[in-house]
Amino acid sequence: MVTGDAGERSAPGDLAAALRRCAGGDRAALQAIYDAEAPRMLGVALRLLHRRALAEEVVHEAFLRIWQRAGSYQPSRGDARGWIYAILRNLALNMLRSEGRVDLVDDFGPMELASEEEGPESIVMRLSEGSRLRRCLEGLDAVRRQAVVLAYVQGLTHGELAGRLGVPLGTVKSWIRRSLLALRECMA
Amino acid sequence: MTEEERDRLAGEHVLGLLEGEAAAAAERLAERDPDFAAAVALWRARFFELDLTASPERPPAALWQRIEAGIAAPAAAPARPVRRAAAWGALWDSLAFWRIAGLGTAAASILLALGLATLWQQRATTPVLVAVLLTDDRRAGAVVNAFADGRTELLPLGDIPVPPGRALEIWTLWDRARGPVSVGLIDRARTVRLRVDDLPRARPDQLFEITLEPATGSPIGRPTGPVLMKGTASRAL
Repeated sequence: MVTGDAGERSAPGDLAAALRRCAGGDRAALQAIYDAEAPRMLGVALRLLHRRALAEEVVHEAFLRIWQRAGSYQPSRGDARGWIYAILRNLALNMLRSEGRVDLVDDFGPMELASEEEGPESIVMRLSEGSRLRRCLEGLDAVRRQAVVLAYVQGLTHGELAGRLGVPLGTVKSWIRRSLLALRECMA
Repeated sequence: MTEEERDRLAGEHVLGLLEGEAAAAAERLAERDPDFAAAVALWRARFFELDLTASPERPPAALWQRIEAGIAAPAAAPARPVRRAAAWGALWDSLAFWRIAGLGTAAASILLALGLATLWQQRATTPVLVAVLLTDDRRAGAVVNAFADGRTELLPLGDIPVPPGRALEIWTLWDRARGPVSVGLIDRARTVRLRVDDLPRARPDQLFEITLEPATGSPIGRPTGPVLMKGTASRAL
């Protein structure tokens, strides 16, 4: 499923097997998942939450959930790594939304952004050369591509995207809708 | 909902664009509608590669230890075969015995519940630890109350001027090796419950402080702005 290059740290089969062992109460299996994935998970959480203490909290909570829910993982419904990251992303997004960051758009100046974070274009460049996602994202208009990547990677809302990209809310919504359609077609 | 609408909703859900009730509704839909769940899984698979572009960050050693402690909650004791004498066996099988025992147990449960509720209220309303945060000019600016159930709150005692675009961030230092940990961010002086769920219980002499930070909090996870007030926790009588 995944064609990422440098990101591959453990074969999907290993993770699925580790989840089965977790479901059976094997703590060493959870630690194996942690050793393989925690650094990347922390990186993902940090991009969403910006604050290390919060990102660590989310990774902590994600592993408790992985442990509790390992038995409900079904290989037929997607690969193990995606399942693990979906848990992490949901927790991080919930924390982000509960932070009351409504002021983010106004307070988050472009200079801060440049110094602190990697822009959406360079994130796309990090996708592997042969990646279909990369090819399809590159097929979108630059500003729509940025909207999609910023939403996913930084968890920006429609309103925050509108503020960041300097366009009306309705425009952002329609960009996202059309981008999703185009991506779906391109990646089919 | 048309197939196209459903797919769009799934895509926006995976992008993280749904908020509040819409996000919760999407989660519920994914649980009962296999087609929607499949659409969500497909979008996750499509975007997942973007997660792999995040630079790995080395987690502190304490993080795994906390996870390990979290999953080490005592499992149910293994069932042990109960050896019972014949008389006990008869009693065990007697319906009348269980009826009476059942009533007794129910009464005991109610008493226990009442007792616990009372105890809980006392424990919940009286702080076990209090920290008075003093400003540079030794004025009491805020109080941190830590309750027996772990709940911890900050109670400002007056207004704290916050320049536009800045916020008040609350920190605690429970481990010098790890350094200060952010436990709250507020845009102005107001009572706030501190985020300490994943920290060990507050203890006497634990330091709390408030610093002035960018509106979204310190970008580096450590205090960067001036310390406005600080104080250490003491046991409440």
